[in-house]
Amino acid sequence: MIEFKHVFKSYGRGRNILSDITFRVTAGEFVFVAGPSGAGKSTLLKMIGGLEPPSRGSIEVNGQRLDELSARARPYLRRAVGVILQDTHLLYDRSAINNVLLPLAVTGLAPELARARARAALEKVGLSSKEDMNPIELSGGEQQRLAIARAIVNRPAILIADEPTANLDRDTAHRIMSVFRDFNRVGVTTLIASHDEALMAEYASRTFRIDPGKFTDLSGRSKP
Amino acid sequence: MKTLLRQHRYALAVTMKRLVSQPFSSLANLLVIALALSLPLLGASLLISVQPVARELSVTPELTVFLKMDAASGQAEQIATKIRKEHGEQTSSVRVMTKDAALKELRANPAWEQALKVLPGNPLPDAVIVTLKPGEDLALRADKLAKDWRTWSGVELVQLDSAWVQRLEALLRFARIGLLLLALSVALVVLATVFNTVRMQALSQREEIGVARLVGATESFVRRPFLYLGAITCSLAAVVGIGVARLALIPLNNALSSLARSYDADFALSLPPVAMLVIAVVAVAALGALSARWSVQRNTRF
Repeated sequence: MIEFKHVFKSYGRGRNILSDITFRVTAGEFVFVAGPSGAGKSTLLKMIGGLEPPSRGSIEVNGQRLDELSARARPYLRRAVGVILQDTHLLYDRSAINNVLLPLAVTGLAPELARARARAALEKVGLSSKEDMNPIELSGGEQQRLAIARAIVNRPAILIADEPTANLDRDTAHRIMSVFRDFNRVGVTTLIASHDEALMAEYASRTFRIDPGKFTDLSGRSKP
Repeated sequence: MKTLLRQHRYALAVTMKRLVSQPFSSLANLLVIALALSLPLLGASLLISVQPVARELSVTPELTVFLKMDAASGQAEQIATKIRKEHGEQTSSVRVMTKDAALKELRANPAWEQALKVLPGNPLPDAVIVTLKPGEDLALRADKLAKDWRTWSGVELVQLDSAWVQRLEALLRFARIGLLLLALSVALVVLATVFNTVRMQALSQREEIGVARLVGATESFVRRPFLYLGAITCSLAAVVGIGVARLALIPLNNALSSLARSYDADFALSLPPVAMLVIAVVAVAALGALSARWSVQRNTRF
């Protein structure tokens, strides 16, 4: 499902942010990516989503080698990977449901079917009563859930989220995590970057730890 | 196919929403392009209206061969016969106007009657009036014949009566080139206006473009609303431009009709034919889409 082979990442001529990372995540796994700020957690997730190319090494996602993927084929891979970035990147010029409808418009789904799918996604994250509200009117936790609804509406095989519970209170964080767990239970491979140790202890089935210049699979399944 | 149609419909809806959400800016762009387009349209109207007049006038060119004052009587008839013999295939009529006949004709004109009374004799020469057959290279042929006949014995002067038509044709050629240059300048104005509009739109839609790419939008999906924006703005502007030109022709024609009446003529400027206007609208829309594509390609590299 996701395979990194000796992946390095650096910007310009600077030092490597990620060094020699090798791991394999199989379909349906729930993986936490832990580590201090600036260690490269976000970069790792962005590389899985095809948003950042590696400096060296190969990455395979959903059976496709990213370095062999043409620029034309890249958008189609992105449809198979639901991405929730640290900044939710919601669009404030439209309602919650219209934010969720955007990925479906991209695929050219019939409008009536798209609306039904968007409503179902909002219902899954508990926002069905707020579909006509502008994202600016939603709380931080609700905005996170709206971003999740937008990421899962195209039924991706992989879901990646970068610090989805940062700056949220305990209850809201648990509500968000239970949404991820529900998707994982129906077979969606889930990778979440977080530095919340307590949350990881409760939800993780596998954890990667990234420290500056060092990658460790705490499950011991990845070998250097 | 259905998917592509849905994506086009979505792009069209997004474009209309963007146009309506900034009504003043959209209207200002539309007016700038429309006014710029109305200028070559007015130029084209002038050319198209004047061309048939020039063509009509140039189909009956006459050459008048004036003989020397001391030419023997009967020499005009000899020259007429020579013209019929050597250039019969190029002429439609050759007639002799003797000096006496010319004087008689002139005396019949009350404006000349008094002036001619004070003259001691007949100041007019014998002449041969030749009408050429119409054809493509008429002006050239007339020039060549005039040059040739001027060398004949007894001939004082060959007057090309259609010279002013040639001058008009040269003027029209000049106007056609001018119109082409004006159209090119206007095309540049259209390109620049659409390019800048799309650049501003692309920058203001930066977040939406980023999110669309994040959720798997292709570059065509991102570009499409901007192409529609360019094409719709330009086609609407072209239609408004036609309206502006049509309105401008009303006072121009009013002024022109009084001038034409003083020459006992009926002349009015009119817009190019509908088919040509439709082609112009489509061409301007294509130009707008092309400019939008260029702009969006340059301004969405983030």
